[in-house]
Parts: sequence; structure tokens; C-alpha cells
Amino acid sequence: MRHVPTVALRELRSLFVSPVAYGVLSLFAVLSGLFFSLYVAAFNAWMVQLQQFQAFDQLQELNLNDHLIGAFFDNVGMVLMFLVPGITMSLYVAEKNNGTEELLLTSPLTSWDIVLGKFAAAALFVTLLVAMAGALPGLLFFYGEPEVGKTLSGLLGTLLLGWTYVAVGAFASSLTRSQVVSFLICFVLLLVLMLLPAVADLGLAGAGDGLSAVFRWLSAGGHVQGLIQGLVDTADLVYFAVMIGSFLLLTRLTVDSVRWR
Amino acid sequence: MIEVEDLSKRYGDVLAVDALSFSVARGEVVGFLGPNGAGKTTTMRMLTGFLPPSDGTAQIAGHDILEDSRAARRAVGYLPETPPLYPEMRVEDYLAYVAAIRDVPRRARDEKVSRAIERCALKEKRSHVIGTLSKGFKQRVGIAQAIVHDPPVLILDEPTAGLDPNQIREIRDLIAELTSADAEARQTVILSSHILAEVRTICGRVVMINEGRKTVDASIEELTRDGQSLEALFARQSASDLGDVAVSREVS
Repeated sequence: MRHVPTVALRELRSLFVSPVAYGVLSLFAVLSGLFFSLYVAAFNAWMVQLQQFQAFDQLQELNLNDHLIGAFFDNVGMVLMFLVPGITMSLYVAEKNNGTEELLLTSPLTSWDIVLGKFAAAALFVTLLVAMAGALPGLLFFYGEPEVGKTLSGLLGTLLLGWTYVAVGAFASSLTRSQVVSFLICFVLLLVLMLLPAVADLGLAGAGDGLSAVFRWLSAGGHVQGLIQGLVDTADLVYFAVMIGSFLLLTRLTVDSVRWR
Repeated sequence: MIEVEDLSKRYGDVLAVDALSFSVARGEVVGFLGPNGAGKTTTMRMLTGFLPPSDGTAQIAGHDILEDSRAARRAVGYLPETPPLYPEMRVEDYLAYVAAIRDVPRRARDEKVSRAIERCALKEKRSHVIGTLSKGFKQRVGIAQAIVHDPPVLILDEPTAGLDPNQIREIRDLIAELTSADAEARQTVILSSHILAEVRTICGRVVMINEGRKTVDASIEELTRDGQSLEALFARQSASDLGDVAVSREVS
């Protein structure tokens, strides 16, 4: 496993000479900035409205964390769902198309070196995106008094969500030789992951609480919500560890299946 | 240096390599000959650990390719049919990366990369982006990545395929130089080819396969002693026993 940094570094360098990295960075900066401004404007309008109606009780309850930052982090998670497949789509596809797969698999690298190295590279890139998004709520500290703990735990939730998406995307990329197919597989998997609670509500009503609970647990949404609301629950952290670990394991299996097909 | 024992590879019902055995001594340069589809690439991929054999095994520099795969892989420099290059990387960065993943210690990397660049005459291209190089230079970078870690065993899959005559001569000279008796670290080489002139000038021995089975295993001297040409032998061996071949293809 000592070659994980070697593999990750090469991956990052290739990512940053490709236009994809800069495209994703710019798109993310524009989208997150736009959504943040919209949320700030909405929050402002709401506050003004409540003052006009003299609804002091509600005004008392209005706060930056629950009514602005939380919603914004939710939104960032949504944006990541569209952008992460773009980052991860070429992770393994490019190796197969360059013929460098043969170099990697005939070198003394272990499968974990490859799988963890590639995951680390894409996860670092997503960390950069989340840090950019985190700077925006940071601005609010100059104008108001959001809770630091709640803001940070929301940021952590968004980061873990991003890393989970990366693990799913890396797996999707290991399955195919086409970037477009890789993007689509990843996007569909993320969509399924998001829609599972809805499926549980619609199709499984009364069909057994066990399965419904499993579906609800598998979906990332509830676990992120906890963190956004400032509840750092070990169970949620375990969820992300399990999801990332499982998809890395699946990726390792597909990488090995190339060696042993 | 290389001991191949009853190596077989089966794809579904097709037997691509059929109980192939041969051995290569230290410092020997063996030409691996056969028509397209004879199983040359499959055999090389099994020796380098890219594909698992269906049956049989092989030893590379004393390491079993199945039981001690990583040590065996460490001992091999491999140039696949298409050189495994990252088009967006610079030549020297690429070679440094290959040296790193092939377990060359950090301190020795710069020196080994420089030496590989020198040996493959890539000096003025060392900071060029690989994607911008001509096919001949790409092939040289491919050879440089195979020798950068000074492996005792070199496996080259059609090192001159698709090059123009000048480039072919250059690559051929390069391989001859790498394997000449006075080279510092003389390597054991298996190279596949279907250009017979190439094999005659570079290799000391020939292993010929057809339909996955070994048909000839002899030194160039032995083969050409009674005046017959390598071309005639190749033609005869590749075309012979078609009926027999058809039978061997059906795996019971």
C-alpha cells in the first residue's frame, strides 16, 4: 500500500492538465455562488416579511444555520451529484484506453495501491470543491452569528457525501471502457441512492418495515441531514465508512477481474 | 532465467496456448515467432502477470508467476503491443512514475531515468509531452519504460510493429545495443515478431509457435545450417497440419 501516494499524485497531475478539472471547478464555483446568493436573498426577504407581519415568535426562531446554511449544504450535495461523475468517469476508463492498464497490472503494484490511489486523488479534488463551498457560509460570520459547530458538522456531512459519490464513481469507471457510460452508470447509481426513501414510501408501504428501514438506511440523505442539523452521530459516520468501503471493495474486485478474467 | 512449464490458456472453447514449455538462459535473446493469432501475445501476457494461465506455470528469475507474482513482476520489463503511455505526461515525469511503481528506490530514480533516456536516445525529447511525439519516439519511450528499472528479464511484444523502415532500424539497433555482450547489465530478452530479418539479426534462438503449440525451438545457426531460409521454415510451420490444428482447437 506504500504506492498509494505515487498513484494518487500522478492521477491528480493528469486531472489538472485536462480541461475537465477546470471546467468542473468553474462550474462548481458559479453554481455554488449562485445558489448561495439566492439563499441569502431568500433569507433576507423572509426576515423582512416576518418583521412586516410582526411575527416575532417566528422571527425569534429564524436563524442562519437552519434556514440558510443547512439548505445551502443540501444544495451543494445536489450539485456534487452532477459534477462528481464528471470527475471520476475517466479514472479507470483512461487507463484502459491508453493501454496503461497493462503497465499498472504488470508492475509490482497491488490492487489496493491502484484502487486507493485513484480514490484518494478524486477525493482530494472533491475536498477542494467542498472547501470552496465552505468559504461562502464563512462569509456569514462577518455579518451574523452562525453556530460554528453546526456549520462545521454540516461541512463534514457534505464532504463525506462527496467522498461517497467518488467511491461510487470510481466503481462505475472500473466497469466500462467508455467515459459516457461511466458517467451514466455513476449518475444512475447516485440517483437510486437518493431516491431509495421515496421507493420505500411508495412501493413498500405495509410490505414489511424491515426492508423499508434498510432502504432508508442505505440512502445518504438522512445521514447527511443529521450532520447538517449539528448531530454528529457515530451511526451516521459508520454509514459513510461502510458505503465508501463497500464501493472501494467492489472496485477492487472489478480491477482484479481484469487480471483474472 | 525463464522457465515455462506446460503453460496453457483457454478462452471459452478456444485453446489459445496449448501446454507450451521452453526455457531461456541468462543473457539469451530469444525470438518468439508465429503468425498473427498464434498465441504470442497471450503467452507474453501470462509471463508478465497480466493474464492468469488456465494451466501450467512459469518461473521468472526464480520466481513463480503464480505463487510469487509480485517478485516475478518486479523482475520483468514489459513492452506491450501498444506502448502503455499517458499522452498528457512529459517523458521524464512518465519514466519517473514508472520507476516508482516498479519499486526503484527514491534515491536511485533520477539516475535510472536519465540512463534510460540516454540509452533510448530520448535526450532532446525528455521534457516533451508524450502525446506530441512521433510514433517512433513513442515506441522508444515504451522501451525506456521497460528498461528503466534494470530488470533482469525483458519481454517485448512486437517492438517494431507499425514503424517506418528508418525507425525500425533504429529500434533494432537499440535492442541489439541493450543485449550486446558488453552492455553493463546484460538482459535476458524474449521478443515477439513476424519480421524474420529482425529475428535473424538480433536473436540467438527462435521459439516458433502456431495455434498455441510450439513447433520449433532451436538456435538460428541450427535452423539455417542446411541452407534453408528462415522464411521458408516460417511459411512451412505456419501452414502445416491444418487438419491437425482443427482437432486441437476443440477442447474436450
